[in-house]
Amino acid sequence: MVTTMAEILLVDDNPADLDLTIDALAQSPWRTHVSTVSDGAEAMAYLYREGKYSEAIRPHLVLLDLNLPRKDGRAVLADMKSKPALRRIPVVIFSTSQARKDIESSYELGANSYVSKPPTLSEWVSAVKVLNEFWIGCACLPREVES
Amino acid sequence: MNFDETDILLVEDSGDDAELAIHALRREHLANNIFIARDGEEALDFLFCRGPYSARSFERPPRLVLLDLKLRKVDGIEVLKQLKQDQRTKAVPVVVLTSSREEQDLVRSYELGANSYIQKPVDFEKFRETVKTVGLYWMVINRLPVFREAKQAAGEGS
Amino acid sequence: MNTTATRTARETEPSHALKPRLRVLLVEDDPADRDLILSELNKGEFEIHSDAAVTADEFRQRIRANCPDVVLADYNLGQWRGTDALEIMREEGLDIPLILVSGALGDVTAVECIKQGVTDYVLKDSLGRLPMALRGALKDKSAREERNRAEESLAQKVEELARSNADLEQFAYVASHDLQEPLRMVAAYTQLLAERYRGKLDEQADKYINYAVEGAVRMQSLIQDLLAFSRVGRQEIGVKSTDCNEIVERTIENLQGTILESGAVVTHGPLPRLMVRGLQLQQVFQHLIGNALKFRGPQTPAIQIAATKEGAEWTFTVADNGIGISPEYAESVFIIFNRLHTRTEYPGNGVGLAICKKIVQQHGGRIRALPRDGGGTIFNFTWPAEELAEGRGPAW
Repeated sequence: MVTTMAEILLVDDNPADLDLTIDALAQSPWRTHVSTVSDGAEAMAYLYREGKYSEAIRPHLVLLDLNLPRKDGRAVLADMKSKPALRRIPVVIFSTSQARKDIESSYELGANSYVSKPPTLSEWVSAVKVLNEFWIGCACLPREVES
Repeated sequence: MNFDETDILLVEDSGDDAELAIHALRREHLANNIFIARDGEEALDFLFCRGPYSARSFERPPRLVLLDLKLRKVDGIEVLKQLKQDQRTKAVPVVVLTSSREEQDLVRSYELGANSYIQKPVDFEKFRETVKTVGLYWMVINRLPVFREAKQAAGEGS
Repeated sequence: MNTTATRTARETEPSHALKPRLRVLLVEDDPADRDLILSELNKGEFEIHSDAAVTADEFRQRIRANCPDVVLADYNLGQWRGTDALEIMREEGLDIPLILVSGALGDVTAVECIKQGVTDYVLKDSLGRLPMALRGALKDKSAREERNRAEESLAQKVEELARSNADLEQFAYVASHDLQEPLRMVAAYTQLLAERYRGKLDEQADKYINYAVEGAVRMQSLIQDLLAFSRVGRQEIGVKSTDCNEIVERTIENLQGTILESGAVVTHGPLPRLMVRGLQLQQVFQHLIGNALKFRGPQTPAIQIAATKEGAEWTFTVADNGIGISPEYAESVFIIFNRLHTRTEYPGNGVGLAICKKIVQQHGGRIRALPRDGGGTIFNFTWPAEELAEGRGPAW
């Protein structure tokens, strides 16, 4: 459990999906602060605190979609898990794809977890609540690392 | 028991904790086949299909590993390290479930590729709740990399 | 030139220009015999273009150089035999009729030669038979060519069909997979709209929003079913021996809720072991028994499952005492998304039987629905017996 408010980074190019997640997190038991970026390149800039993200707080948890413009989710994942400063941050792949190969390759690349975006509103809210309950309420997340 | 159908590999040297965990998981119908390894060596033998478990297959790993860190013979960190550094086993999800309060255990575990890290609550009831949440998240919400055909057939019915 | 004589000659003799051409390769080491055969050939109905070879090497050379329509060969050629020519032709990938023109050939030898692939044989002292033998050989050749063409065309069609089925599968998968995201957006946000504004706008607005939500949710359900349908056959699962008794019992367990609720009695006779891809047979029973329970009539549902062996296959029956299927719909009921009732009468998208049919067919069987005396339906499907089946059936 984090002693400061948990910082979650959502990486998704679909604003409708981002809003659903943010709403669902707001309904979840553990309060969190959410930041969003809409493509893979922005995600890396955010994580490295480059340019307009120089004041960004390193997230405690990243929810990452796979199909993103510019730099896709798989590349972001591979990058994060190969960099010493970033590899300890848990990454949950949050994608529409239920394809076996996407799931397997994500774990191969070092994804901590994989959640398929549920098709219905109620299942989505439910899934996000359990995700929140587990990652924020139950698991221990690594603290901020001075890079 | 068919070791190749293991849902959860619980690596735990405390008999009490193991029993509590299994009870919680079974009660919520979160897992059927749970195998307990009592020390690090047994865990490694099981995961690497050797010794008494040489009949096991790398193609059918346990779907999830719950790993205590304080183990006899080989400690949890070493088990984690070997598991995550081997191509054949690195994709198996490992959730560290430990009584350790050491910051460095937390950091090292994530660095070595642990999928998640949980500190075991001391309180009996809270421990049970924690195991339930772990099971609910990892076995139901989360998509695990090993596919059991049963999941499909159960889904068809319209 | 005496034009009258020429004109007469043209009128009385068959014109050379009208005789069909025949290219003959004559393999004969005796020059006298060779001349005799050639003169006999020239008397016949063909315009003969002849080529000659004596040794095996010459034969190989000549057959490569000019592909003849027919080969006439003596049986005894000193160093080699006329029948060796068959082997040489096979090596060259050629399929040309060979007629043995030989001195006395015992019956046994003659049969042996025919077995080896000689089309016919003519004795040297009955060369008069030659024209008939030639005609026969050519007919045989054209029949063979016809068959090869038909085989090739069939092979091509099978390949095309397999490819087009693969494309269709791919399409169904991609369409349903990529449709999920925008569909989810519509469904989720119309629901959110409904929640946020219900009772705050007017009644008409509420109705519109509800229709929108209903439409979106139904689309999602159809997509999930389409995905399930397209998944059958896309997976690479190996066949393995499966005990049908266990399968049926497991299905009954899965349907416990409905069975208890309706008081249904589900029984089965002894069932065999079969070769099944993954859990596909369980899906079939799940749909058939599930449907039997869903479409129940006023009486307590009674469902019986049985299997009998007929030759190389097993025939399964799933009989119920439910509402039955009118014979005119007995075939269309297997078409995907085809339903015989409204959604308010019975839920579901109408994909279960389409999936059953696909699975049964992929395993090499057939399925049909028959009315049952006294009401209800019997679903009847066949499955190859275990001894046969490894990897049976077309790849689609």
